[in-house]
Amino acid sequence: MAATTTPPSPADRAQAARERAEIDSSCRGPVLYYAASAVFWLIAGTVLAVVASIKLHSPYFLTGSEYLTFGRVRMAHLQAVGIGWSAMVGMAAACWLMCRLSRATLVYPVLLVVAATLWNVGMVLNVVGILLGHGRSVEWLDAPAYVSPFLITSIAIFSAWTAATFVRRREPHVYVTQWYIFAAVFWFPILYVITVAMIFWMPSGGVVQLVVNWWFGHNYLGLWLTPIGVGSAYYLIPKIIGRPVHSYYLSIVGFWSLALFYPWAGMHHLIGGPIPAWLSTASTVGSMMMFIPVIAVAINHHMTMVGSFHMLRYSPALRFTVFGAMTYTLVSFQGSIESLKSFSEVAHFTHYTVAHAHLGAYGFFTMVMFGQLYYMIPRLTGREWYSARLISLHFWCDAVGISIYFVSLTVAGWWQGRMMNDPNVPWGNVVTYLLPYLFTRSVAGVLMGVGHLAFAVLLVANLAGWGRRRGTGPTYFADPPPADQKQLAGAAAD
Amino acid sequence: MTSTVIAIVVGSVVLFGAATVLAMGWAVRAGQFDNPSRDARSIFGPDEPVGEPTDAFPAD
Repeated sequence: MAATTTPPSPADRAQAARERAEIDSSCRGPVLYYAASAVFWLIAGTVLAVVASIKLHSPYFLTGSEYLTFGRVRMAHLQAVGIGWSAMVGMAAACWLMCRLSRATLVYPVLLVVAATLWNVGMVLNVVGILLGHGRSVEWLDAPAYVSPFLITSIAIFSAWTAATFVRRREPHVYVTQWYIFAAVFWFPILYVITVAMIFWMPSGGVVQLVVNWWFGHNYLGLWLTPIGVGSAYYLIPKIIGRPVHSYYLSIVGFWSLALFYPWAGMHHLIGGPIPAWLSTASTVGSMMMFIPVIAVAINHHMTMVGSFHMLRYSPALRFTVFGAMTYTLVSFQGSIESLKSFSEVAHFTHYTVAHAHLGAYGFFTMVMFGQLYYMIPRLTGREWYSARLISLHFWCDAVGISIYFVSLTVAGWWQGRMMNDPNVPWGNVVTYLLPYLFTRSVAGVLMGVGHLAFAVLLVANLAGWGRRRGTGPTYFADPPPADQKQLAGAAAD
Repeated sequence: MTSTVIAIVVGSVVLFGAATVLAMGWAVRAGQFDNPSRDARSIFGPDEPVGEPTDAFPAD
């Protein structure tokens, strides 16, 4: 495919580089603000995560304070990483990708700064409010009542901004990543407003609340974070390795089939619960149909990478993104299988589900977003990353951390489920059995925390202007062998 | 209360469904799906052409 292009003239090249630099520089303020805020919430969320995790195997840890009881800390962790880090880094990515793919400079930067500030204010109220005991016992919607107006106003501004950028586009084609971003910024506000309305503003009756709760809970991941993560990988992988997506047709099929099937999936959280059987069965069907978009994405990302896997040794952005993209396949296959009722009989209401949730939100989404930040931020600040060693530390702490986390809780959760299903096993035995696995989870959490600190240091250093200026050509982390040098030559000319 | 729930459910089904049909209809009319191999290259340009990687591991 690549052989058919004619080499661009130096003048065209310089013109296109100027246009790209202009777009990137217009994004600098708002995107860096979103990204830095996201990293702040990531660190806060990690501290809360480790505290909550330790309490599960050492119940006398920090018992003197009512602000740090498990119920509050866990809720605050979920909100900090789910609504703080994930949404804000997703919006940073969406903002930059939208400008680049529309080939339009960023408009209304002040509006975006206002939107990000509203989100941050909402998050401060959210986390502090929960620790003070104002949280509400609805999973994923634990935020105190006074938080949602901030988040709704913020996302409304962001969604309107996305449309305003799109109408100013100079690129006639709508790349698949833009479809994903549009879908996310259109779906999420509707999802959130309907849910808050039906659970809090005009509370619907018992079971309907439960249904709406999990419709939101699952679609927060499926229709908000997943489209941004997959869309980001669809841009980064081809762009970094310099090769178009293997099958663009398949990428479009993947997008529309995700739109068709993912919204059905939420009810599999309520299998065995007090809802009409057809509702959870329909959801199981929707979950199984998710194999179509997931296989489409998996084939596409893998086939695009074939022949370029050696570049994973050099590019941090590529390594994080490909790790996330591969995990997306794994976690989605696992999710579909988990929606089967026979499987749910064992795995449901155990740590198995916790492991699955973290594989999705962390192994897939967070890792792709780190890839996005590693690629995007030097192009915004004009500085390379300060230290390859810290990047390496970040990658290995996160990759090993989430792997240990996933394996320990998956094994623990499965046997927990088997033991709970056996009436001859005393409850106390289940609790004692879990202790070493929960301790391992804390170790994994600390490891990921070290990775996050390494990244925070890198980000602060980059923003402070400590890295080398871009444009002098990168020096590779590992010296590439001659065969790779030819392929990497383009990056040196950058 | 039941009527509110039904109104919200039906309303959102219509809103989501109509938006999807409109978006897809526009995309087909605008020729967005006509030439996938050309469209896959829309993220490349003269300064970052197909065949040139754009990222690598930085210096220590």
